[in-house]
Amino acid sequence: MLPEKSKLTEKKRLRSLPELERPLTVRLKFRKTGSLQYISHLDLQRTFMRVIVRACIPAWYTKGFNPHAKLVFSTPLSVGAQSTCEYLDIRIDREMSCDEIKDRLNAELTDELYITDAYIPKNDFSEIAWSSYDIEIRTAEANAELASKAKTLLTTSPLMMIKKSKSGEKEVDIIPMIKSVDAYYHEENKTLKIKCVLSASSTVYLNPEMLITALKNNLGIMSGDPTEEWYTIMRTGLYTGELEIFR
Amino acid sequence: MNKEKSTILKSVTKPGRYSGGEYGQIIKDKTKVKARFAFCFPDTYEIGMSNLGLRILYGVLNKEDDVWCERVYDPWVDMQEKMREHNLPLCACESGDPLTVFDMVGFTLQYEMSYTNVLNMLDLAGIPLYAKDRDDSFPIIIGGGPCAYNAEPVADFFDLFDIGEGEEMLPELCRLYIKMKDEGRYTKQAYLREAARTIEGVYVPSFYDVTYNDDGTIKAYTPIYDDIPKQVKKRIITDMDKAYFPDKVVMPYIETVHDRVMLEVYRGCIRGCRFCQAGMIYRPVREKTPEVLNEQAKCLYEATGYDEISLTSLSISDYTQLEKLTEQLLEWTNDNMVSLSLPSLRVDSFTKELMDKIASVRSSSLTFAPEAGTQRLRDVINKNVREDDLLRAVNVAFEAGKNTVKLYFMSGLPTETYEDLKGIADLAVSVIDAYYKCPTRNKAKKPQVTISVSCFIPKPFTPFQWEAQDTMEMLAEKQEYLGSQITDRKIRYTHHDARVSRVEAVLARGDRRLAPALELACREGFKFDSWDECFDYDKWMSVFERTGVDPAFYANRAFGLDEVLPWDIIDCGVSKEFFLRERAKAYGETTTPNCREKCSGCGANALGGERTCCPKKAN
Repeated sequence: MLPEKSKLTEKKRLRSLPELERPLTVRLKFRKTGSLQYISHLDLQRTFMRVIVRACIPAWYTKGFNPHAKLVFSTPLSVGAQSTCEYLDIRIDREMSCDEIKDRLNAELTDELYITDAYIPKNDFSEIAWSSYDIEIRTAEANAELASKAKTLLTTSPLMMIKKSKSGEKEVDIIPMIKSVDAYYHEENKTLKIKCVLSASSTVYLNPEMLITALKNNLGIMSGDPTEEWYTIMRTGLYTGELEIFR
Repeated sequence: MNKEKSTILKSVTKPGRYSGGEYGQIIKDKTKVKARFAFCFPDTYEIGMSNLGLRILYGVLNKEDDVWCERVYDPWVDMQEKMREHNLPLCACESGDPLTVFDMVGFTLQYEMSYTNVLNMLDLAGIPLYAKDRDDSFPIIIGGGPCAYNAEPVADFFDLFDIGEGEEMLPELCRLYIKMKDEGRYTKQAYLREAARTIEGVYVPSFYDVTYNDDGTIKAYTPIYDDIPKQVKKRIITDMDKAYFPDKVVMPYIETVHDRVMLEVYRGCIRGCRFCQAGMIYRPVREKTPEVLNEQAKCLYEATGYDEISLTSLSISDYTQLEKLTEQLLEWTNDNMVSLSLPSLRVDSFTKELMDKIASVRSSSLTFAPEAGTQRLRDVINKNVREDDLLRAVNVAFEAGKNTVKLYFMSGLPTETYEDLKGIADLAVSVIDAYYKCPTRNKAKKPQVTISVSCFIPKPFTPFQWEAQDTMEMLAEKQEYLGSQITDRKIRYTHHDARVSRVEAVLARGDRRLAPALELACREGFKFDSWDECFDYDKWMSVFERTGVDPAFYANRAFGLDEVLPWDIIDCGVSKEFFLRERAKAYGETTTPNCREKCSGCGANALGGERTCCPKKAN
């Protein structure tokens, strides 16, 4: 990548290039795993602001009193969940290839926060309807029977859960928000594994944590020592209403 | 703890404090390094990550190939509860290893109220509190930072202190450790002896016997060996241009107290305010050149991507090359939308030209510290600022459209009268009047003046080190009186908690007899005493009472001018004679010119230093 000392020179060079007629949106697909799962959406935003500066990306800056790069993220991920498929739209006002942008950013990132793809977007964020997750649960009671109980629980309507929203708390049946769910016992890890597709549109969003809570409340799992029992949530894909992979 | 799968991290507030994995953290192969150093900051991650000293020393230690320095912060209350419940020891950020596997554990002592955190962190790590209870299998526990200048209250818990600036001292301590290990002659005692003997600035408290007089004052400090210093002299870096500079920064993911480039412009202060410890212990003044600073600023900007550069020092407007520096910086900062901020501005140097350059344009507020309400008292404390200066400065701000001003004061200063307190209220009114007299003011807005009043705490190594602190009742009465003098609703009045200031005074001027009280405080679960929500005055008083400590002896007693002081064991470079002279001048309401106008012979010039205003030491 760029030698450290030349970043200011590089920024100067970029500024001297002709400005694009209108800012170009580039979509970044990135993963947010490991220790990065504990970083909130707001902190992630702040982090990217600085990474973009460090990486010498010719970001378009808002005009006005407090100029800043415009960043738009896809469906936020809750703290404590990991993902291989987060999306961020940035705008640039000087020419730079998507691959170059990706490489420059990755030079300023770690494995746990890493750009896997950069391209000109096809879909609009508003088209996101579903999200798939892999959930793994380590609990004392894990076995094949528990897996089938879990599957039954998560597929039988109604499954009433308290959902918090801006307008307050409301009890709702979450089953209609679950497109598909599969649960099985992983012999080697001695864990319960759940693959599911949940509603992830801007109007109906089911937090995967809700499934964990439902399993805890109804099957009494993970009630023991928190240093022995654990769960992980990994977002694996975002889809449109027609279940096409979001691009 | 497996951070990725931790159920505990999912259940605490701000887990990003504990998850680590930051860009810029330094990972080494622990099987290949010869000394592992855990650098502990005894407060939250957000505060510790903003500390410039920690940044520098982290870099300086990791520059050594065979040393691995890691960071440790104090987990917040909820996390500590979980850790204790499930027997999880305190661990370092980078490796996640518990502190007990380290060779050295260093604590930076930034403020007295963090002492309980230090002990609590040792306890969370499963390390015995008292140095005498730790055998060679435990890490060497090191203390440093401003409070190490009188660390006597915590002396029994530490193996050694490094006095002064640590950039050279800490690597020397590691090198000696590695050498003695390699040669197979390491024992903790042998190491401490050799360090005390050969490394300047090292203070090993257990090597000094303390005896007391019948009246409770100190009789003497006696070294138990002939070959260790009778008084430990502080270390400084003489040439700041050549001082180690951290060009890589560990970037926090979560928001911290200072998310900006901190550019250290110079060390020391020319002013000599008589209550100020920092102004004395960091002497002599040593500047960096603007050229070096500009290069360092560029480097830090490129390494961090921050959009603000803060020029740090004790009093930025006293930097002789400020104009040149800001000019050089502005050549590239504006184009890159990076703003400059100049904290610690003095009113007598605040001009329109300066304000045009700084970032505070983003906020509408400005802060000044007149410290006292009348000229008489400002002369006593040697705050060479006049009311005219303040009014001129606020006028500059008002003309530029600002409408809020924050003023810092101190109450309980030596010789303070109610007239001086009324002076604070009067000064605030004058500022309000100045606003309405300013023809180009922002007429759409009302002025807002905030008066923030702290309590005077006599600090070691200041001309006021012998003074008695006002009793709590006196401080409370004064606070109330000042409140009654403020009638204008455009003036907001806030004051510090006098109870915290009193405990701070006890710890600041304390001696080794406070150790049992601090130990008991730790056993009773004291932590985060600098946080309002955690501080409990009654519990502190109970702890003092049960351990036979009279807080008034330390806080509210005027120390005798010929008394042996607990901190006499340390030589901070500024002589006791100077402090006595300054004290006499204070009572004579006479000011002392700043170091640049006239050398007042404090003695710090003997320490040397490049680009200083001190006269060269006579050979």
